[in-house]
Amino acid sequence: MAYSEKVIDHYENPRNVGKMDAEDPSVGTGMVGAPACGDVMRLQIKVNEQGVIEDAKFKTYGCGSAIASSSLATEWMKGKTLDEAETIKNTQLAEELALPPVKIHCSVLAEDAIKAAVRDYKQKKGLL
Amino acid sequence: MGTPCHFALFDLQPGFRLDPELLASRYRELARHVHPDRFADASEREQRLALEQSASLNEAYRTLKNAPHRARYLLALSGPELPLEVTVQDPSFLLQQMQWREELEDLHDSADLAGVAQFKRRLKVAQDELNESFAVCWDDALRREEAERLMRRMQFLDKLSHEVRQLEERLDD
Repeated sequence: MAYSEKVIDHYENPRNVGKMDAEDPSVGTGMVGAPACGDVMRLQIKVNEQGVIEDAKFKTYGCGSAIASSSLATEWMKGKTLDEAETIKNTQLAEELALPPVKIHCSVLAEDAIKAAVRDYKQKKGLL
Repeated sequence: MGTPCHFALFDLQPGFRLDPELLASRYRELARHVHPDRFADASEREQRLALEQSASLNEAYRTLKNAPHRARYLLALSGPELPLEVTVQDPSFLLQQMQWREELEDLHDSADLAGVAQFKRRLKVAQDELNESFAVCWDDALRREEAERLMRRMQFLDKLSHEVRQLEERLDD
């Protein structure tokens, strides 16, 4: 199966790979996995007092599409408010990366990771 | 009438614990009976039937042979079929998976064959433990949620063990 140029670009030059301190109260961590492919994805956000995502980091063990989906997700989240970030849809990620149908679940995983990170942050702040 | 249960095909009771040797020997025996070569001179209809039987036999064998596949199949026998692709949020387990992947990456970078062998043993222990936990809870309707979680964990470890084997092959070259 041929990967699109955008997937290859994110795969070869992933943006925002890294780790934040999960104990930091301004950090939200989303940890999700896809059992059938064995993919594991960690997506973290650092949120400022205005509720804007200042920084995002990820680490993904998985296929090129999973890495590209999470890499793109971190790019899109930066500068957004929590509510805006939560509206990012897997279909948008899949479209931007031109993912083939069999790889759509990789973008679903990334969307679930975004939601999990936002939820973790909100829970820490007592917003849920 | 639907297709017979995979277990019945091999004359086995549905269950998670099974003797892999027994399964393999029954598979070989049955496979011989439906092997397309035996039907070279048979009618077209018989040939087609044999081909279908051979395909469903192989499918049943593949499913039962592999622990997470067998687990998922068993859960589907006693409830709704569980999708293959899902997102799981099982934080402590996923955290451990992440650490193991990091370790495997380091073993790859350092081409540490002894380390890989040791990693493999640790993985095997974890798989055995998981299988044991699943075996005692899968047919308890009250523990179905737990059984599903264990089955998903098995899928992760199964995938990880494939990667360990691939790494071994690469390092052997």
